[in-house]
Amino acid sequence: MKTYILKRLLLMIPTLLGVTMVVYFIVRLAPGDPIEAMIRNQSGHIDPRAMKESADKIRERLGLIDYHFLRDPLFGPEKSWAAKPTGAWFWCVDSTDKVASAAVGYVQWFSRLCVGDFGESIKFRSSEGSRDPLLLLKERIPVTATLNVIAEILIFVIAIPVGFAAARYQGRWFDRVSSLVLLALYSIPVILAGTVFLGYLGMGGSGWHLFPVGNLHSFGYEKMDWVQRNLDLLWHSTLPVVCLVYGGFAYLAKMGRASLLENLRADYVRTARAKGLPEEQVVYRHALRNSLLPMITALVLAIPGLIGGSVIVETIFSIQGTGLLLVDAAKCYDLALLMAETLLYGVMTLVFLLIGDILYAWADPRVRYE
Amino acid sequence: MSNVQPTTDPLLAARSRSYGAIVWRQLRRRTTAMVSLVVIFLLALVAVLAPFIAGEVPILWIEKGEISFPIFHYLTNLEYAGMLAFVLALLLPVTLRLVRPGAERAAASPLVRAVLIHAAICAAVLLALVVLRTEERRYGFYLERAAQAETAWFPLVPTPRFPGYDSLPLRDRPPTWQHPLGTDRMGQDVLLLILYGARTAMTIGFVAVGIGSGIGVVLGSISGYFGGWVDLITMRVTEVFMFIPRIVLIIIILAVKPAEVPALWAVVAVLGLTGWTDPYRYMRAELLRIRGEDYMTAARALGIPTWRLLLRHAVPNGMAPILVGATFGIAGAVFLEASLAFLNLVQTPSWGELLNDGRQHLGTWWAWGSAGAAIFITVLVYNLLGEAVRDAIDPKLKI
Repeated sequence: MKTYILKRLLLMIPTLLGVTMVVYFIVRLAPGDPIEAMIRNQSGHIDPRAMKESADKIRERLGLIDYHFLRDPLFGPEKSWAAKPTGAWFWCVDSTDKVASAAVGYVQWFSRLCVGDFGESIKFRSSEGSRDPLLLLKERIPVTATLNVIAEILIFVIAIPVGFAAARYQGRWFDRVSSLVLLALYSIPVILAGTVFLGYLGMGGSGWHLFPVGNLHSFGYEKMDWVQRNLDLLWHSTLPVVCLVYGGFAYLAKMGRASLLENLRADYVRTARAKGLPEEQVVYRHALRNSLLPMITALVLAIPGLIGGSVIVETIFSIQGTGLLLVDAAKCYDLALLMAETLLYGVMTLVFLLIGDILYAWADPRVRYE
Repeated sequence: MSNVQPTTDPLLAARSRSYGAIVWRQLRRRTTAMVSLVVIFLLALVAVLAPFIAGEVPILWIEKGEISFPIFHYLTNLEYAGMLAFVLALLLPVTLRLVRPGAERAAASPLVRAVLIHAAICAAVLLALVVLRTEERRYGFYLERAAQAETAWFPLVPTPRFPGYDSLPLRDRPPTWQHPLGTDRMGQDVLLLILYGARTAMTIGFVAVGIGSGIGVVLGSISGYFGGWVDLITMRVTEVFMFIPRIVLIIIILAVKPAEVPALWAVVAVLGLTGWTDPYRYMRAELLRIRGEDYMTAARALGIPTWRLLLRHAVPNGMAPILVGATFGIAGAVFLEASLAFLNLVQTPSWGELLNDGRQHLGTWWAWGSAGAAIFITVLVYNLLGEAVRDAIDPKLKI
C-alpha cells in the first residue's frame, strides 16, 4: 500500500506538469493581453483600431514597449528575465514568435516555481498589499473551504438516510416520490436558485431581508465569542451552502439507493434472512454497513466537482473565495494568479482522487493495489 | 464467409431482434421516457422554426397583387442547414431500412452508415449554401411598410429586433397578448429571446456533446483495443484534462478567446473539446473487456482486418455507456452554457443571460422566471431520458 501511494504521488508530477502547461499555453497563445483586457472590461467592446490606439498609449505610459513583459509571470522590469537576457535560451522572449516565447516563459515560470516563487499578480493585492498569488490564495482558501466543508457534511447527513430509506422501501410511495423530487432538485439550475435566493431572501434584494450576502462574517466579527462567531458564520453561509447542497445531495442519495439495493440482493443477505435473523437486523447490521463504505468513497470523489461548482455559487453571491478570484483573474489575463489557481485546483483534484482510492481499498478488503 | 445464410428456423428468426429494437421496446414502456422524447422533439422543433414563430420578417407578403414569401429569402445558411438536419434526423429510420440489405458486407453497422450519410448530406448542403448563397439582412424593412401590403402574415409574435430600433419604450412590460411572456429591460420580447435561447441550448447540447463523444469514442477504442504504449500515452494525456476541473478550463479559455470568434461556436468548441474525458474512459474500459471476449477471438481467427474488427464488432458493443453518458451530458452542457452566459463570459442569446439580468432586475420575474423554467424543463427531460435509457440498456451501469 505504501509503495502504491508513493507511486501515485510520483505520477502526480507529470500530470501536474501537463495541467500547468495546458493552461499556460492557452493564456499565452491567446490573442490580447492584460492591457487590452482592462480596456475591454472598462469600456465594453470597442473596434480594433481604437483598442490598439488606447492600448499603445497605456503601454507607452507604463514604459512597456514589449508587452511580453506584462504577460510574463515575473511582472516588473527589475525582476523580469527578459530585462537581462542571460543565455541563448532567452533571446526569443522579445521576439514575435509566440510559441517560442511561451515555451521559454513556461520554463521560467517552472524554474521560479521550484524555488517557491509564484510570480506576481497583475491586478490583485492581498490585505497586506502583497501581490504574491500564494498569499492571495491563502486569504481566499478558508472561505471556499468553509463553504464546501459545511456543504459536504450536510450532503452526507441528508443524502444517506434518504437514499437508504428509498432502497429499503423500494417501489413504495416514499421511493417513488423521493426519486422524482431528487431528479427535479438535480435539474434546478444553480443560477436560478441563486437568483431567487439572492433576490427574495438576501439583504439588498426586494423580498424578506433574511440573510446577508457578499461576505462570510459580520462587521465587528473580532469582538464576538466562539459561539456567536459560528452562528454568524452559519447565518452568512446559509444561502450559498443551500445552493451547493441541493444538487449534490440528489446525486448522492440516488447512489446510496443503488448501493443498498445491490447489497440487499447479495447472497450474504439471503443467508442472513435464511438463518432467521429479524429483518431489522439484516438491513441495519449487514446490508447497511456494507453499503455505507462505498458511499464515503463516493463522497470524497465528489469533492472536486463540488469545488468546481462553487465557482458559480461564489460568483452569484459575490463571496470572496478562490472561485470568484479565478473568474476575475481569467478576465484580466492575470497569468501568475491563474497558474497558482490551476495548481491549487489540480492538486486538490489529484489528492482527493487518491484519498478516494485509498478509502476504497481500506473499506473493501478484496481491493488490492499493487 | 461473405454470404452468411440467414437463419431458416422460424422460432429463432422470430426471437432474434436487433439490440436497438430491444432497447427501444424497453424505452416505450416508460411513460417518462416517452414524455421526455416528445418534449425534446418540441424543443428541437421550436429551435429550428424560431424565425417562423417570432421575428420581424413576414412569412407571406402580398403587395400590388404580387405574392412573395420573404422569410425564405432572409433565412441564414445555418438556419437552412439546421432545418435540413432536423428533417434528416426524423428520416433516419427510413435510411436505416434502405442501408440494411447490404449490412453483411459493409464496413460499419447500418446505424453508423445511416448517420454518416445524413451528416454528409447536411455538410454538403451547408457548404453549397455558403458558397452559392449570400445572406441578406434588411432589418425592420417589412414592419415599417406593413400598411402598404394587402396581406402580410407575420410570425406569431411579430417582434422588431434590429439595430437602431427604439425598443426602450416597451421595456419591462408584464405578459400581454402581444408579448405572451412580457418584455425584458431592453424592451425585447421575452418569448423571442427564449426561442432563440432554445436554439443556442439545442445546438450546444447536440453539437458539443457530439464532438466530445466522438473524440472520446475514437481515442478510447484505440487506447483500449491496442493497449501498450498507445494506451499509456493517451491515458496520461486524458489525465491532464481530467484533473483540470472542467469549469476552470472553460472559464480560462472563454476569457482569453479572440473577440472575432462568435460566442456560440466558441462555447460549442470549448464544451466539446473539454467533454471527451468521460466518454474516453467508458469506451476504454468497455474495449478492455470486449477485446478478450470469445467473439472477438473468433473474428480475429477468421482473419478479419483490424479496422473492420473495431468498427463492426468492438465499438458497437461498447456504445451503451456512451449513449447513456451522452444523454446526461446534454443536460450538463445546457446547464454549463447557461452558467457561462450567466457569468457574462459569452454573449449569446441565452437563457443564462436572461437570468443574469434577473439578478439586477428582480421585478421582471416573467423574464428570468421563464428562462429558469426553460433551463429546468430542458435539463429535467434529458435527465429523465438518460435514466430511462440507462435502465433500458443496463440498470447496473454506474453513470
